[in-house]
Amino acid sequence: MVHSVGIVTSGGPGAESEAGTRPAGSTSFERRGHVAALIAHRHRRPGGRVYTALRWGGVLIFVAVVVSLVVSLVWQAAPAFRHSGFSFIFSGTWDPDTEKFGAGVFIVDTLLTTGLGLLMAIPVGIATAVALSEFLPRRLAGPLSTAIDLLAAVPSIVVGLWALLILVPVFERDVEPFLQKIPLVRHLFTGEDLGTGILLASVVLAVMMLPTMVALTRVALRGVSVADREAALALGGTQWQVVRRAVIPGARSGIEAAITLAMGRALGEAIAVSLVIGGGVSLPHSLLDTGTTLGSAVVNFFSESSGIQRSAVIGLVVVLLAFTAVANIGGQLLIRPRRSRGYERAEPEEVAPTGEGAPA
Amino acid sequence: MTLTSEPSTHDPSELLSPASVERRRDVVRQASRSSLRRRRLLGNATRAVCYVALCIALVPLAALVGYTVDRGVQGLSWGFFTQVPAPYGVPGGGIANAIVGTLIIVGLAAVMAIPVGLAVALFLVERRGRVAAAIRFVADVMSGIPSIAIGIYAYALIVVPLGPSGYAGITGSFALAVLMVPIIVRADEVAMRAVPDDLWDAALALGARRSRVARSVVLRNALPGIVTGNLLGVARAVGETAPLLFTIFGSQFLETNPFKPMQAMPLTIYTDGTQADAHLQSVAWATALVLLVFVLVLSIGARTIASYATRHAR
Repeated sequence: MVHSVGIVTSGGPGAESEAGTRPAGSTSFERRGHVAALIAHRHRRPGGRVYTALRWGGVLIFVAVVVSLVVSLVWQAAPAFRHSGFSFIFSGTWDPDTEKFGAGVFIVDTLLTTGLGLLMAIPVGIATAVALSEFLPRRLAGPLSTAIDLLAAVPSIVVGLWALLILVPVFERDVEPFLQKIPLVRHLFTGEDLGTGILLASVVLAVMMLPTMVALTRVALRGVSVADREAALALGGTQWQVVRRAVIPGARSGIEAAITLAMGRALGEAIAVSLVIGGGVSLPHSLLDTGTTLGSAVVNFFSESSGIQRSAVIGLVVVLLAFTAVANIGGQLLIRPRRSRGYERAEPEEVAPTGEGAPA
Repeated sequence: MTLTSEPSTHDPSELLSPASVERRRDVVRQASRSSLRRRRLLGNATRAVCYVALCIALVPLAALVGYTVDRGVQGLSWGFFTQVPAPYGVPGGGIANAIVGTLIIVGLAAVMAIPVGLAVALFLVERRGRVAAAIRFVADVMSGIPSIAIGIYAYALIVVPLGPSGYAGITGSFALAVLMVPIIVRADEVAMRAVPDDLWDAALALGARRSRVARSVVLRNALPGIVTGNLLGVARAVGETAPLLFTIFGSQFLETNPFKPMQAMPLTIYTDGTQADAHLQSVAWATALVLLVFVLVLSIGARTIASYATRHAR
């Protein structure tokens, strides 16, 4: 195995770093690298060159798009950044008339709605996924899971329309007056009940995140090997203990990935949120206050802006981009170290043979 | 612990006397029973919690679909699919402009995104090392970029230099393509990785060029997965509003020239749904229903192909 590594790393088809973590039994990757090094690389004929050019062309287009995305947005936002300096992020005053551009309130509202949405979506999502993959009989769980998977594809504008025309009146008439009557909790819900506001925006985000969360968590729970479950059962665990001690820990990285993905979506959701959050530009004092997230600010302010104000709106996009990139990269770094640890679960394709081989 | 309270004796025969064995057996039985009862109770409680969560999750999702279908069906008619919007205040009219616009815009986006996605995925599957790892990382980060940012990017890149003539269907297509590429890359790569190593080995050992391997072995075997992934990418793009909001401008006429301003279904929902006018709102609901059906058909098609392929792979 060791002698082939030198050739493997020199190029050719195959997976990169995974080769090292593969069990000793499957040397196929190494073999492929070896063969590839001998055959593919030494015999690069003209046909291969055209192919290489096409492939590299695609990659270059992709890289060019990514680079130009960052560069063009930062470029257009630069005048506003120069104009406002650090107060662009830390100031809470957004007043185009006096040319004061501070995104502080938008950042607070973005984090608030996303956080509240996650607070609602994570427990419900994980518990739903557990119910679907572990508890419900398959006859019932199958169709329900499929339905929820399909709902993950519902366009956000449809959710937004439903929230605007159906939920806003319901919240104004029933939900918000009810919340204002609950002792202690009601201090979070002071102010006028308009229907629109931070609370409804968070609910909408939660509804949008739920199907994705459930679908991805379910896949992660499914991926925990039968052997792990059987081991926990053999130790005398009840069904719940198997779930709690074997399945959820085994699916942990998958669940974290689901949360990260949902969070990224919620941070960047603009249209649906702009429909229901109300558009207030001062710091919220209650969850019923109206607000403006980074995304909804762009939707609301972009068309009627010009000059330095337009640059400032594009600056909001850059801030939003930074937030989602940090969330994404952070999520990936969070998940990655666990992947390479020794006791990590076997990958699904390696589980299958043990499951099928059991009868023998 | 209870076991140690047994009068300790060093006489083995005393320990093995039937009475003593029975006594100890009882202790164990009781302990295990009460433990099992406690654990079962906990298990049932958590199971109930999970079922309640399932209901909490299903209610809003069912309400969302239910209301869309209920309100949407009321606005549907044959003319809704064949006519352009009626002038304000005039009853009737349809969304033919938006349906045609969505088909053209998304179609062009797919034409732009699928080849690039395929090329990048092939690159990632064949190459190893830092370049591939970096590109995979970038693709992962790209797939999380907010769609509104992509819309503003397309505006900054195309509409700003070109002026008003930059407002065109094709600009929206470009934005949607940027949105789709990372999704397609991931799906294609997963599909290609599922091609058995032995097939690669065999093809390479026969002296096939890599282009030949890619065409005859990788693409052929990964095709169902690739089609599924691309369809899901298209389904995602069909429903996006934010990339189109500042790029296609909208049009009340049946426009088939992608270099002119066009209408799309998400845009119709956005502009009509936010009006305080009963007729326009009903148009928005009906459009939402049509869009929902579009997206669901694409998703179900993708899943059908995937399940068909896995069944026939064995």
